[in-house]
Amino acid sequence: MKQKQHIAPPKWVDKFLEYYCKEEFLEEIQGDAYELFERRLDSGVFKAKLKYCYDVLRFFRLQNIRKSKRLNSNFIQMTTNNFKVAARVLWRQKVNTALNVFSISIGIACFILIGLYVKQETSFDNFHKEKDRIYRAWAKELYADGRVFFNVHTPLPLGPSLHESVPEVEAYITIANFPTLVGKGDGRIADNFQVVTPSFFDYFDFEVIEGNEESPLPSMNSVVISESYAKKYFGDKSPINEVLPLQIDNETRDYIVSAVLEDTPLNSGIQYNILINDENNELLYDPRVFNAWFSISVETYVVLQDGVSPDSLEPKTKAMMKAQLGETDSFDGAPAEDHYIIGFQPLQAIHLDTEVPAASYPVGNPQYVYILGAIGLLVLVIACINYTTLSIGQSIKRAKEVGIRKVVGAQSGHLIWQYLSESLLIAVLATFIGVLFTLWALPVFNQLAQTSLVFELGAENLIQLGLLTLAIGLLSGIYPSLILARFKLMKILRGSNLSGGKQMARKGMVTFQFLLTIFLISTTLIMKKQLNYLQSSELGYNYNAMVSVPLYAQPNARGLTAIISSAMENGEKLKTELSKKPNITDFGMGSHVFGSQGWAQMGFEADNGDYLEFDMLAADPYYLDAFKIEMAEGVGFNPDLEIHKTQGVILNETAVEYFGLENPVGKRLPSTEFGDHQIIGVVKDFNYESLRVDVQPLVIVQNPEPIFEGVSDYGFGDSAVPKLVFRYTGSSLAEVGSLLDQTWSEVFPGEELNFYFVSQNLQGQYESEARVNKIVSIATVLSILIASFGLLGLTILMVNTKVKEIGIRKVLGATPKTILRILLSQFTWQLVIALVLSVPATWYLMDRWLSDFAYRTNIGLDPFILSAGLTLILVLIVIGFHAIRASKINPVKALRVE
Amino acid sequence: MKGTYLGEFEELVLLTVGALHPKAYGVAIMDEIKNEVGRSVNISAIHSALRRLDEKGFVKSEMGGATNERGGRRKRFFELTPFGKKALDQAQSMRIKLYNRIPDISLGQS
Repeated sequence: MKQKQHIAPPKWVDKFLEYYCKEEFLEEIQGDAYELFERRLDSGVFKAKLKYCYDVLRFFRLQNIRKSKRLNSNFIQMTTNNFKVAARVLWRQKVNTALNVFSISIGIACFILIGLYVKQETSFDNFHKEKDRIYRAWAKELYADGRVFFNVHTPLPLGPSLHESVPEVEAYITIANFPTLVGKGDGRIADNFQVVTPSFFDYFDFEVIEGNEESPLPSMNSVVISESYAKKYFGDKSPINEVLPLQIDNETRDYIVSAVLEDTPLNSGIQYNILINDENNELLYDPRVFNAWFSISVETYVVLQDGVSPDSLEPKTKAMMKAQLGETDSFDGAPAEDHYIIGFQPLQAIHLDTEVPAASYPVGNPQYVYILGAIGLLVLVIACINYTTLSIGQSIKRAKEVGIRKVVGAQSGHLIWQYLSESLLIAVLATFIGVLFTLWALPVFNQLAQTSLVFELGAENLIQLGLLTLAIGLLSGIYPSLILARFKLMKILRGSNLSGGKQMARKGMVTFQFLLTIFLISTTLIMKKQLNYLQSSELGYNYNAMVSVPLYAQPNARGLTAIISSAMENGEKLKTELSKKPNITDFGMGSHVFGSQGWAQMGFEADNGDYLEFDMLAADPYYLDAFKIEMAEGVGFNPDLEIHKTQGVILNETAVEYFGLENPVGKRLPSTEFGDHQIIGVVKDFNYESLRVDVQPLVIVQNPEPIFEGVSDYGFGDSAVPKLVFRYTGSSLAEVGSLLDQTWSEVFPGEELNFYFVSQNLQGQYESEARVNKIVSIATVLSILIASFGLLGLTILMVNTKVKEIGIRKVLGATPKTILRILLSQFTWQLVIALVLSVPATWYLMDRWLSDFAYRTNIGLDPFILSAGLTLILVLIVIGFHAIRASKINPVKALRVE
Repeated sequence: MKGTYLGEFEELVLLTVGALHPKAYGVAIMDEIKNEVGRSVNISAIHSALRRLDEKGFVKSEMGGATNERGGRRKRFFELTPFGKKALDQAQSMRIKLYNRIPDISLGQS
């Protein structure tokens, strides 16, 4: 070997080796590495150094790495040990652990499911980057005589003028929905399209899947369609640059598909399927509408500059309205700016804002979201209480363990941590099972509750689950561990009674659990009762097996009167054909049918200056008879009388009262502005809209023209194009479809057929109530399950601690009944108190819920009796089972326990 | 006792330890394997194999005296234990037993 010893390996590499390597291995490892290094020096110093680095790196293995002093700390050691002990304890008490884990995991599953629903409801449109700057404008007209017009459909000029005169408005987007027919010639399909400002794509982050991403709507004749519509109209081939014919303004025009957009996301309130550029507005609106401030047509969204609060824009919008409408209102001479108010609501708040009227953006009931959220939490609380009460029960058994630990020197802080690690372990296990359970139950839940929720285990969800686990573990474990740690050493070792006091906390928790269970059961029952009431109450008409078929007006019909009469002519043709078929009777035609919201609403100024509003139904003479609606006074429409057809007016009882008419038959409506008409009869009130609202004044006519002459305002929530209704008396409802299909294609080839059963539409009105009821029912069933698990655990515990007592009693001749009574007596008071407390609480909350309805059921006593009975039966079953088991044990065995 | 199983590389190292007796230490074992088997292995792999063999009780080790080379660091010499020898014997006899059972048929080589 040459004398090259002075060349040493790189210092820093050596340092690194010395840093990580275990003391005991350092010498040999470093020695071997040095030896190799020296040998390699012959083939070049640099290479040797490099290889030395590599060797040192290769020695960096777990077995060679020294354990960090920090990792080796007492805390880590104790925690590991705590969890080890916890796992052993849990394993030893298998039944208890299983009950705990199972009930908490059910609670978690229920919480996640409901949480997903609440999250969906509260996360509407939160995926847009600019969501915080986007607002929807509304317009409110206020008049001295008390008239208020509050709309989120806004005038066409609103967007452009806001953009021009308010510098803080960076951009505006208008969205309007129109019915159309897609396709050419035969087989046209009825659909809707949306007219949007092209900046729609700049601010709303809907993903462009295919086609022009830069500007998806470059010109007037381009169209953007959603993914599922691309499938619907073009199948699998690429729709880009294909022609999509749309009927606009009675003319079919060709539009070129320029882009395909993702389907409307589930939590998007902005719904779209076929989008066209707003340059098309000139085809859709009369030129006057572009400057009309009293005609509402589009929804206007505005994008405000960063950090601008919408409230601060009020002076500017007022100034704008003043500039647009002039100083004073032409109707009552008051300042215009106070009568025409423009406001903004944040995009994300729209879905749960019931103050502002709804438009195409779906509005949910925030109350239901809060109720459900609270219920989800309550079920989880019930599950956590299970753990707490059971662990307190178990604590006496563990007293000796605590005593020994204390003698050895454990401080109460350490003991608390140790028992908390048990509850944490349970929580982790339960979360895991709960998540599995959720994944399994989600499709069932979606089907039952008619929701379309998805549960993705993303980073965000996992973090939330982790926090949830931690919270459950800490909250359910803290009380039992405090109790355990507080045990007095001397008492334990002397073996005296540790349970101390009357265990008020534990009893209180059990009572609370009973209370929640009873509350949930009775809430479900009351909701169900109200729903049944709504669905079965006498509405004043017979809708059994009634079918409604929307009709089409001839394309050249202009104006509502012409559209109604044209559609009715078409309806006559269909009716003639259908009447030849069997099992079809009771024909009628009308502009609205029961079960749809938003019948035509009219407003007029009465002769005495009052502003009056009523709903209007344009019907043929057979409509009222078809629904078997009864007359209160006068006569119904007579098909043979021409005067009835042109001038006849029928009111409902509410309208008679509202208009202040006495002996109305033969009189006129209270305004001279109306055309020639005469009230010929009065119908009994019937609930034509949802039972949430009272019956409104209703005017029924065959010819709406005289009415239109006298009204100053009108609005429609529902299409007023007439529908043909008939009763199907056959037995197979499926046959209706084929019968209609056949007849329809004979009479109107090329138009699309739609039809509904009126009863279905009526039920659809209470869809959200039905859904909430379903979800609450699911939560209730789960909470009953959880509560009975808890009860089961407690009873097992009780039987175990009373083994000797039961044994002695049996020796002295006790029957199973006596034993059942002893066990029951532990819970009687808690049950009674829970019942007494739950009734007023439930009553109060349900009463508030019911106040949303104009027609409401009586809460009554039966839901409470039923839920108390149910709980009692549950308690009896669980405890009875154990009483029988306990009484079957040979008393010798019980008494021999030592 | 867990893991008394003798892996392929472990067996090789164990054999070498036996063969080099009493001069078996890390670098020497590595060199020997390189020379006899033609397998070049990293020194760290030898060390971990030795560590495992030590845990299993197949080898025992002792620090040697101070040296002049390798920066004055001592070597750790390894030595077969009776248990290690037995493990080698077992492996060998099992192999021979199976080998002898190969029927004497032509495998297309002779």
